[in-house]
Amino acid sequence: MPVLDYEIPDELHYSKEHEWVSLKGEEATVGITDYAQKQLHEIVYVEIQKKGSEVKQFQTMGSVESVKSVSDIFSPVTGKIDKVNTELVDSPELLNQDPYGKGWLAEITLTDLEHDTKNLLTAEQYSEYIKKLEE
Amino acid sequence: MSKTTQKTHLYQYHKQNAKMTEFANFHMPIWYKGIIPEHMAVRTHVGLFDITHMGRALITGPQSETFLNHTTTNDASALTPLSAQYSTMCNENGGIKDDFVLSRLEPQKFLIVYNAANRQKDHQWLLQNSKPFNVKLEDASDNIAMFAVQGPNAQQTLQKITDTDLTKIERFKCSWTKLANADAFISRTGYTGEDGFEVFVWDTPVSNPEKAVQVWNTILKAGEEFGIEPCGLGARDTLRLEAGMCLYGNDIDETTTPLEAALGFVVKLKKETFIGKDALIKQKAEGIKRKRVGLKITEKGIPRPKQKVTDESHQQIGYVTSGTYSPLLERGIAMAYVSTENAAEGAKIVVKVRDKYLKAEVVKFPFYDPTKYGYARQK
Repeated sequence: MPVLDYEIPDELHYSKEHEWVSLKGEEATVGITDYAQKQLHEIVYVEIQKKGSEVKQFQTMGSVESVKSVSDIFSPVTGKIDKVNTELVDSPELLNQDPYGKGWLAEITLTDLEHDTKNLLTAEQYSEYIKKLEE
Repeated sequence: MSKTTQKTHLYQYHKQNAKMTEFANFHMPIWYKGIIPEHMAVRTHVGLFDITHMGRALITGPQSETFLNHTTTNDASALTPLSAQYSTMCNENGGIKDDFVLSRLEPQKFLIVYNAANRQKDHQWLLQNSKPFNVKLEDASDNIAMFAVQGPNAQQTLQKITDTDLTKIERFKCSWTKLANADAFISRTGYTGEDGFEVFVWDTPVSNPEKAVQVWNTILKAGEEFGIEPCGLGARDTLRLEAGMCLYGNDIDETTTPLEAALGFVVKLKKETFIGKDALIKQKAEGIKRKRVGLKITEKGIPRPKQKVTDESHQQIGYVTSGTYSPLLERGIAMAYVSTENAAEGAKIVVKVRDKYLKAEVVKFPFYDPTKYGYARQK
């Protein structure tokens, strides 16, 4: 469902730091939201922790840089990184072009699914949150 | 004390078309389409910038030349009417108060264009130092709109809307002209490294912006066939950095001297006297201990201001003052102050970018090949 100028797919979970999570059992795919990529604009460099790294919910798991600035990426879940989107090394613009698709950041095996999801927003809650930010 | 943020004549246009930011107490555009396409438009075609936020002052009177020789480091006497020079003014320690472009309009009338962030400070400094001289200082900032038309097609763009033969205006020369029926002063100067003009639309207060808006729109229309883009402060910053030009507050300030900043070419130590001269003579005799250099990052990553510069064994030798992604070179570039023994072109050094040490090389300015890009490119 688009909210203002931003795509916010119904089936995903969101963090207030503008990361999204797609859950399949204990496996999560994570990325940054359409709102995040539009705020950053022209992403020219992405760095994510290596495969095998342990990440904690709402702690840094990497960084994303636009021409002007650098921002941390906070992991929306706790677990172990299984796979990193290596295409972003040479094509960071995928984050702008397809934030929910080819611009995915990493796959993470969760350690506490229930706990993590409790701390995340639904699409509806995230939409409300974005509306407030844009006021 | 909080002040209201000022607007330029083009505020409505910017608000409708650009992502906005507040800069030096002005509402300014950061980008319209994006920093990268705007940057590339200037390097390959032409771009149009609103730079009305810059400070402008007129210095008139029989002693205006003497006064400017006293307060600035370059030789104001070398300026013939309708020519311009880049210059700095220093404090008594040789620290840079500001950098600016000084134009001579008439034998006894000069126009100084300084940094937006230094408007008040510069005015105060000039006023305070003007007391012993028979000169008049007048802040003209709010009565003039200022645009920059930059890029290899800048001359063709402007030529369509003026009767003045622009081929006759060499780099750092100026002319009075009419643009879109408005009285304008133009100088062949800029802050991008490219050929181009800075346009001063005269007698157009922000409260009555029509004339300035008309000139802006006419330039955009004239440049359409060349692929002109309106450009924001984002591209202005990446362009000046690629060209090796300083940003006051980042690369130079009152703690750095023009000699350290590699701006020795605007310091005329043979002049009889000027503020900061003694300190600069002493520094020159002793030799500078650090120098502003260009750094090209040779691996992936983007340097940012305040990051540490080290030698290959990770001992600190300096710090980054400006850093960005270069849209033209498609890699990280930076300006940094490094100790003189590490400042030679080709020196292998390291920048600590967050938790990583990235390899870099000292390069000369500009960062691009000047035979392919910039005002001296081979046609």
